[in-house]
Order: sequence, then structure tokens, then C-alpha cells
Amino acid sequence: MTQTHRGCPVAHTDFTGSAPILEHYRMLDEDREKARFLFNDTTDRGFLMLQRYDDVQEGFQQHETWTTAVRSALRPGLGEPLLPQDLNGQPHVKLRRILNQFFAPAAVRRMEPMAKQRCIELIEEIEDAGSCDFVKEFAIRYPTDMFLALLGLPVSDGEQFLEWSDDYFGALLAGDPGRAEAAKTSIMKYFDEAVNERRAHPRDPKEDMVTRLVQARIDDEALTQDEILTICLTLMLAGLDTTRSALGYIYAHLAQNPADRQALIDDPALIPKAVEEFLRLYPLVFQAGREVQEPQDFNGLEVEKGDVVWLGIAQANRDPRKFENPDEFDVARHNANQHLAFGGGPHRCLGMHLARLELKVVLEEWHRRIPEYRIKAGTELTERGVQLSMSSLPLEWDVEA
Amino acid sequence: MFIAIDAGKCMGHGRCYAVAEDLLSDDDEGFVAERGRCWELPADLVGQAQDAADACPEGAIAVTETAPADA
Repeated sequence: MTQTHRGCPVAHTDFTGSAPILEHYRMLDEDREKARFLFNDTTDRGFLMLQRYDDVQEGFQQHETWTTAVRSALRPGLGEPLLPQDLNGQPHVKLRRILNQFFAPAAVRRMEPMAKQRCIELIEEIEDAGSCDFVKEFAIRYPTDMFLALLGLPVSDGEQFLEWSDDYFGALLAGDPGRAEAAKTSIMKYFDEAVNERRAHPRDPKEDMVTRLVQARIDDEALTQDEILTICLTLMLAGLDTTRSALGYIYAHLAQNPADRQALIDDPALIPKAVEEFLRLYPLVFQAGREVQEPQDFNGLEVEKGDVVWLGIAQANRDPRKFENPDEFDVARHNANQHLAFGGGPHRCLGMHLARLELKVVLEEWHRRIPEYRIKAGTELTERGVQLSMSSLPLEWDVEA
Repeated sequence: MFIAIDAGKCMGHGRCYAVAEDLLSDDDEGFVAERGRCWELPADLVGQAQDAADACPEGAIAVTETAPADA
């Protein structure tokens, strides 16, 4: 590497393609150990890579001058408006304040009985078959149903809704605006009807998020219908594919590491700790982007207005300077909670506690019913770049005759 | 021993009160209710305070021998 940009070595690693499972983490680890900061030239704008835990954490905390005008270093031009994350500063804080209470641990705890019941129903649908494609038949259906429940919508709409959301998300990641727009139209019409229904028949705004959004005032102004629909769309984009992906990696791990699986079966009280360690080890959103608004020296890196900064979430979570034996799953790891899988700073993932609940409930209820399972022989697991996800995870288990 | 929780750095990850439930509590929005405070720890809660500091992804919690000068 002889080329430099802003004093950084230039790297050409492409993180957008498909690859064998876990290959992206290997590429990310390799880049992190090349140099503290890199400039990657594989996109039109390129990006300055922050890769070590301390730098990534500090990068998330630079929110006053590094904004979400760019949200993904790999897709800086992704024009889809998202709320609240497109806002910065006080307007962002004010909207988060309205939403936070529906995603706080106390609110999420109120959802737990429903979360368990729905999870059990979905497991019971596939249990007797002795096999399933875990990501297609379970890992996406569950968060979809939970998302509808969060919005106070019937989970019976889940299957139809899933088709739209999958189509939309796939088209966005593939950079196919025509197909994305078509799928989005159906979704927005569905949300529009739901929001209008709530305007006509408000529920308790302390418990019902859509009613709260309809009634909320920020600086004496109501949110517009478009803003409310954008919030709904954002929650959908943030919560479905990610949870599916997390479950995919967790189950691929547990199917291939029977000792780790047995430990959770023997002592289900370990599951919340295991969830944190899985989040550390297998973060799906492996990077976040930010756009620099003011020139500054960041720990020796000169950044200029307009630069795209890469915050290397997976590189931080697997940084040996922070986490001992970072490639190992260690349920007793004392600092696993400090992982940055949900980001950091004021934009940290709104749905993190709901995600934790969903992962915990699935691990508890699944292993109670299907403790032994394996990946179908001959399967080659692959992962999608940009934001990691497995397209398929065929699992098999023995069924009593 | 003292604990200090930086209100500017706390972003509501909720890890601290999950591991130190006798020491810390959550508010309606999911932030630690004690953020912005600094106080002396009873001896039996020093361990939980250290766990809380070790759990914070923002580095917002400090556990120190003496009261921080700027608190």
C-alpha cells in the first residue's frame, strides 16, 4: 500500500458483495490491523475508516459535527428519508423523546407475554415438520409480527406485509429504485389507513404509539401525516431484516457449537448474557456512516467538511485491544455489554431493547421445544454484504414418530 | 468509593441498571434515573457500581476512590 489520502493508506476492500458466511468479519479484521485509519476508495465519495473500539465509540459521540447527512459509508447517496435518524441536534432529541417511552425496557417488558405467545405459535407451526429454512420460515416472520403488534396492527396481516417489506428492503440494498418505489407504495398505503383509523379512534397515548404520534406536539406543532408514515416505515426498515439476520447468525452458531447450545439449555438464565455476546460477535450492521460538517483533527486524522466517515461497528466489537480473544463466544465475558452493535451516541438504536427481548424469547422458547438441531448436510452458507444477512439457513431436527 | 454518571454521555443503552439493579434504576424513557449525579457508595454496592461502569458502551460511568473535583 503506497497510495495515501489525508495521510491514510488507501484500501480497496469491497464490503458490498456476497461471500461465504463470516467472510466479511475476516475482511474487516484484516483492514483494522493494516493501519489505525484507512481511506477506502471503492465508493464514489470514498470514506475514512475508524476501526478501533476507542475511535469508533468516540466517533459516535462526535454528533455535533459528524451528522447523519450520511448514514451509511457504503451507501452515502441512499436518498430514502428516515425519521428520526435524519434529524440531528435538538430536533432529533425532541422526536426521540416522544418515541423513547415506547421502546424503553419498561415498555418492552409489557410486550413480553404477547412476544412469548406469538413465538410459541410460530414454533408450533413448524415443529412437527422436522426441518425448516430458519431465516425464511421463522426468523423473519417473528419480528414482522412483533412490529405489527408494536403499531397496534393485527399480526394476521403479517404474511402479506412480509412480502412487501422484503421486496422493498431487497430493492433498496440492491440499489433498484424502481422496484423499491412500487413496494413502498403498498406499504405506505397500509400505514396511511392505520394512522387514519387511529385519528378517528384514538387509544391510550401512553400505551399506543400511533395514537401518541398523532397527538404529539413538538414546539406546538403536530407531526404531519408524512412524518408519521416515515417514522412507521423507518421502524419497519430498522427492525425486521436486522432481527432476522441476528437470529440467522445465532442459530448457525448454535447448530455448529453444541456445547454453547447445551449451556443455554442447561441454564436458560444465561440467555440474556448470551444475547449480548452474540450481538458483540455477530453485528449485522457492521458499519455506520457520518458526514463531517467542520474540519478537525480527530486523534491525528485530519478530516474536512464533506468527508464521509466510516464507524466500524464490527471492527470495534472484534477489536482485541478491547475484547480478549474477540473471535470466541464467551458467555461470561465481563465487558460484552460494551459492544457497539446498536451504535452509540444520540442515534443509538431506538429498538435495542425490543430486539433483545425478541432474541431472548426465541432462544428460550425454541430450545424448550427443539433443543437438538443441525444444519442440513451439504449446505453452503452465504452472507450478503452492505448489511449482513443469510439468504437461507436450512435446519433439521428429529421428530418422534 | 464514589460513582459519577455523566448526563451528557448517557444515551439510554440501559446496560447499567440491568447489571446493578440494587444501585440504579430506569426512567420512563429508558435512561438511568440517576444520570448527572455523583454520590458516595455504600461498601456493599461497590461491586455493582464497577459492573455498571464495565457495562456502559458510552463510558459514561466513573467509579473513583475520591469524589471527582468537577462534580
